[in-house]
Amino acid sequence: MYYLLHANHLFVNKELEHQFVNNLEKHQNIAHKICRIYTNDQDSHKDLFQEITIQLWKAYPKFRGDSKFSTWMYRVALNTAITLYRKKKRSIKTEDYDNFHFKIKAEEYDDEAERHLKLMYDAVKQLNDIDKALVFLYLEDKNYAEISYTLGITEVNARVKMNRVKTKLKNIINP
Amino acid sequence: MDDLDLLKKDWKKQEQSLPRLSYDEIYKMIWKRSSSIVKWIFVISILEFFLGAVLNIFLADEEYWQEMEKYDLTEFTIIVYVVSYLITFYFIYKFYKNYKRISSTDSASKLMKNILRTRKTVKYYIGFILISSGVVFLITLFIMIRNHGMTADATTKDMSFNFMQWLMFIGGTLLALVVLLGLIWLIYRIVYGILLKRLIKNYKELKKMEME
Repeated sequence: MYYLLHANHLFVNKELEHQFVNNLEKHQNIAHKICRIYTNDQDSHKDLFQEITIQLWKAYPKFRGDSKFSTWMYRVALNTAITLYRKKKRSIKTEDYDNFHFKIKAEEYDDEAERHLKLMYDAVKQLNDIDKALVFLYLEDKNYAEISYTLGITEVNARVKMNRVKTKLKNIINP
Repeated sequence: MDDLDLLKKDWKKQEQSLPRLSYDEIYKMIWKRSSSIVKWIFVISILEFFLGAVLNIFLADEEYWQEMEKYDLTEFTIIVYVVSYLITFYFIYKFYKNYKRISSTDSASKLMKNILRTRKTVKYYIGFILISSGVVFLITLFIMIRNHGMTADATTKDMSFNFMQWLMFIGGTLLALVVLLGLIWLIYRIVYGILLKRLIKNYKELKKMEME
């Protein structure tokens, strides 16, 4: 009887694992995009992605499906990037940074619009962790209700803060 | 068009160049070990709790008890032990409850609050250790001096200290006490300082928004 229960337990776990990995594989872009905003080289990207995966898996038994997997994932993944992730000290090589992020080809730098985009991305990189989260959620087309749910601030505060981040970015680009 | 909206358009295009992991690659990842700060806080705190207990056991050998007997401190020491173990168990319980409360599914603000609360428990525990060590040390010193005075008077005069000797004795032990406690405090500050610097900064940033 005990063995039967045990086998059943294992089966349920396997099922959960399968479900989780399937979900994460489908939505992995969310985690990769967060890694792009928060890390500067390929190794850190992998580290953060892995930590996000571990945190999601640890929290998965509590995910009841009353919200969408992706909504839930935004929150846990961003929390990992802002709160739980321990950045390892790495020397950042500029070539690394340029090659890895934003696939803008060198010849395209001549183009005024592309150059401007590059400046914008660089400016985002200079923001603090919380501001980065706001920009990320904005870029992801999240509304203020979702931003407030993820960060734990009121919608009004989220709105005020977002306007400030926009001003900050402007000041970085045109000092 | 807003600068940020320009970026948003490009952001969507960038999606095509994102890395893509296979089912198997992700599957392997879920069994890797976490290196989150919560885990580090947990490990370090457990070490701190046990270091205190281990020190107690190793320092209190037969010889130590004989020494205590000699100075009439046995009862005092037993009381101190019982009380300090009770308090330590209370802290372990509190710490475990705080740790359980930490969940990555909370909002960022709540999650940070819970992590900082866990650290606070450890902070109080360290404070308790520092203060109680200091107090116990001073009381022990006081009782020893009192007893020494009584026995020295009763026997020969050579056994008693003169004023300078007393001053050096008390000054020396106090200095040693301060250095030891200072060292523990410093190590504590450094370990948690490094671990929590970024977290505290982010937490303040979120709190600042609420205050405005």
